[in-house]
Amino acid sequence: MSALASDTPSSVAVARQARPRPRRPWLTPARLGVYGFLAISAAFFLLPLYVMVATSLKTMDEIRLGAIFALPGKPAFDAWVQAWSSACTGLECRGIQVGFWNSVRIVVPSTVLSILVGALNGYALAFWRSRWAGGLFAVLLLGAFIPYQVFIYPLVRGLAFFGLFGSLTGIVLVHTVFGMPVMTLLFRNYYASLPQELFKAARIDGGNFWRIFLQLMLPMSTPILIVAVILQVTNIWNDFILGLVFAGRENQPMTVQLNNVINSTTGERFYNVNMAATMLTSLVPLLIYLVSGRWFVRGIAAGAVKG
Amino acid sequence: MKLPSPAALSTALAAVIVLVAPHAAAQNKAEVIHWWTSGGESAAIQEIATAYKNAGGVWVDSAVAGGDAARAQAISRIVGGNPPTAAQFNTSKQYHDVIAEGLLNNVDAVAAKEGWESFLPAPIISSIKVKGHFYAVPVNIHMPAWFWYSKSAFQKAGITAEPKTPDEFFAALDKLKAAGLVPLAFGGQPWQENITFQDWLAQAGGAELYLKFFRDRDAATVASPAFRKVLTDFKRLKSYVDPGSPGRNWNDATSMVITGKAGVQIMGDWAKGEFLAAKQTVGKDFGCFPGFGPKSPYIIAGDVFVFPRTTDPAMIKSQQLLATVMTSPTTQVAFNNKKGSIPIRTDVDTSKMDPCAQLGLTIMKDKSRHLANPDMLITPDVAGALTDVITKYWNNDQSVDDVVKALQAAIKGS
Amino acid sequence: MEPIERKRAQRGPRFRWALNLALLPMALTVVFCYVGTMLWSVRISTTTSRTFPASDFVGLAQYVRLFNSERWLVSMENMVLFGAVFMTLTMLIGFLLAVFIDQKVRGESVLRTIFLYPYAMSFVATGLIWQWTLNPELGLQSALRRMGLTGFTFDWIVTQDKVIYTVAFAAVWQASGLVMALLLAGLRGVDDEIWKAARIDGIPAWRVYLSIVLPMIAPSVATALVLLFLSVVKAYDVVVAMTGGGPGTASEVPAKFILDYLFGRANIGLASAASTVLLLTATAALAPWMYARSRRERRVQRGAA
Repeated sequence: MSALASDTPSSVAVARQARPRPRRPWLTPARLGVYGFLAISAAFFLLPLYVMVATSLKTMDEIRLGAIFALPGKPAFDAWVQAWSSACTGLECRGIQVGFWNSVRIVVPSTVLSILVGALNGYALAFWRSRWAGGLFAVLLLGAFIPYQVFIYPLVRGLAFFGLFGSLTGIVLVHTVFGMPVMTLLFRNYYASLPQELFKAARIDGGNFWRIFLQLMLPMSTPILIVAVILQVTNIWNDFILGLVFAGRENQPMTVQLNNVINSTTGERFYNVNMAATMLTSLVPLLIYLVSGRWFVRGIAAGAVKG
Repeated sequence: MKLPSPAALSTALAAVIVLVAPHAAAQNKAEVIHWWTSGGESAAIQEIATAYKNAGGVWVDSAVAGGDAARAQAISRIVGGNPPTAAQFNTSKQYHDVIAEGLLNNVDAVAAKEGWESFLPAPIISSIKVKGHFYAVPVNIHMPAWFWYSKSAFQKAGITAEPKTPDEFFAALDKLKAAGLVPLAFGGQPWQENITFQDWLAQAGGAELYLKFFRDRDAATVASPAFRKVLTDFKRLKSYVDPGSPGRNWNDATSMVITGKAGVQIMGDWAKGEFLAAKQTVGKDFGCFPGFGPKSPYIIAGDVFVFPRTTDPAMIKSQQLLATVMTSPTTQVAFNNKKGSIPIRTDVDTSKMDPCAQLGLTIMKDKSRHLANPDMLITPDVAGALTDVITKYWNNDQSVDDVVKALQAAIKGS
Repeated sequence: MEPIERKRAQRGPRFRWALNLALLPMALTVVFCYVGTMLWSVRISTTTSRTFPASDFVGLAQYVRLFNSERWLVSMENMVLFGAVFMTLTMLIGFLLAVFIDQKVRGESVLRTIFLYPYAMSFVATGLIWQWTLNPELGLQSALRRMGLTGFTFDWIVTQDKVIYTVAFAAVWQASGLVMALLLAGLRGVDDEIWKAARIDGIPAWRVYLSIVLPMIAPSVATALVLLFLSVVKAYDVVVAMTGGGPGTASEVPAKFILDYLFGRANIGLASAASTVLLLTATAALAPWMYARSRRERRVQRGAA
């Protein structure tokens, strides 16, 4: 029985229901190997988290003793509360909560805009022949190798010229500009891996540039959209230097407060508060990762081809 | 003509007040960029902000931790046309490029009125006065290299008196080693290695040698026997440091002294905050001395505020009010007590200062002991090059000849 | 044949217009932001600019100083070592994680988050944790010694010639999750039928992965490689947080050199020279790949037409 072209997904499903397959033994050596590897990797990955959490639950006296792997003597969430609402970040001592909504107001439009532009660019580069666009993309990718800080002086002058320096629009534009190389690369490679027949069929059916993009390609991009969201939300949420310089005093993101809590120059360093503050700040990207799981599903593109 | 009713009059008056009052308050609005963000530093800047408010101003705080980040933001905003009212720098040459570009307002008026030339130490004046104009207001004096020691550790090692010469210091370190303690608490970061070297040069090599090197940038001095001895002794300090020192933060090294695991730390007067946070008292749990002997040089470093250029009269007024408030005796004492540094003027009430700070201020009265911080004498670029040489020397086995050559090349830079 | 050609010809100018409009943001960004900054940066590297741009001209003096700087040479060498270890390990671990998680394991969401969370955290704090963990006095070495393995030594982080590998280690920890996510997305696009066919043909799983699946997810792999290479060239936070470039200058990296001279040392002339050299190095490394790519594409184009 050939398992290839003749079977459509529905008929395979029906067949599977009609003839229950003998259940494979659950605990084969291969399975054991898989779980073993994953368990060991998980332990390696979680070790720093353990140290972070333990440190955040200890008192400074305990931390000064220097036993980083020891469990906290009397675990207390004081450091967490302090990090959120009363750690000193300058004249104010209101913790890192101050910048939370600013970060949200920066991240949402920046992510949406940079992903849209990246997807559009990737689509145009992957399916539509344009020699000069290919060259531009190469330059764009090379530009990504220059550290952001080198761009600061020219960008400050440029944005000031348009009156956008120190504004929300300014910082959103800056994030879009810096996100463009990676986003374009991401989508371009993804679209290039999709079967060309899809695109040709759509053209024959009468689709124009925008319709094919909006009605065919974008809906099919779910897995890569998830990865793009993960990348951009993490990078923009955790960005410090661009928000510091370009966002303006009213829009300073949470990372500025986080930096103020962690990086005091000659002041005391409260490691428990620092760890708590870092973990609190990372909750938003972590939430995105957890929620994104629903979309890491199999067979979206595959299904479309067969259909 | 009929007079308006009292009700109408008072409403009109209220309206006028409402219109005028915020405008008047906003006239002394000052947005200040600084890098004092931790608990103790925050309490300190609070003193200045309160004093400014009491003088009729409105303080808008823009704190950014990390000197480099704060200065980067200040300069970006000046370039971008949206400058703050004041920005913090170190008493150094960091802001001299900004002055050269004509991007700062001067505060000659305040300097003249308050008589800065009469009470400010000479090294500070040479840093803030460029081409005859005052461009920065100093707010404190930090000494980057006090010697902090644990009383219990000294007792355990049988050290009865604070070392008065470099040899006595090495003897004390040997005693600490014999007692099984870490003699010198140290954090292996380039800047810490750097201030240790600078202090050793000043304390053991002497102010003359120090100035020939940093102020005159004389290459021949580097090759002199006295300088070579400084280099050798500096490296000798490394043998008293524990193997876990590389990368350690300065306050973790202080913790070693606080818990009695280590004997001595060479660190700036900001270390006092750590001791106080751990509820230790000077004289009982820990001790402090600023150098070897009663005439040891006192290195002067500190922080200043500069005022970005503006023609807006309201902002200029705020800048001048800030400058006046920051240098007033009461503000100076209140601020420096919380900060751990000492006031820029010696004509202040020292009763509330802790013993280490009082000692520092007494020393400041002796002008012969004033010594400028290297940052006041060399550009950040040259300072960086020197740091690279020193940190390499500290962490590698290098012959003194090689180090001498490298230092000569580095000090020559523009 | 005919009607389609006519339709295509009809749609010709309109699609050109739509395409160019869509690519306009990219064109503007590249020309004004990226090319503009690159040119400006090269110009600055020929001056003695300190905190602010100056307009003099000193030719290649900054480049001479750059290549005479021992710290820069160490940085470049470290970048190569770091890059090799980091990219290899991250790709390997990321790939293995993606493959194993793809095996319909229980608790996939939890596992995925465990491997991705390092990417979510700011390296300022996690770098410090790694510094503590790898420090011989505070971390693993002393803990394991106290537990009985008295001979255990792991003091790479304080050793001049091994510290850069500890930095790579921490970076692998941070980035593997992202590569895993990227490759998992690619794997999820692989047709289920492949597995069935392979099973029926009796091919062992590992061979399927190596010879069939890997080529199929080549675009995801390529994306991951480029992302990793970008991280290598721009690596800054991990070094500053873990070792501060030390001990001494043993773990210096080019991005840290550039930023130190850009801000702290107020010498944007030298920083621009370093940045230009870094860009040229990255171009040299990528150019062969890009050239091979465009040649392949042009061949495909010619074949399709």
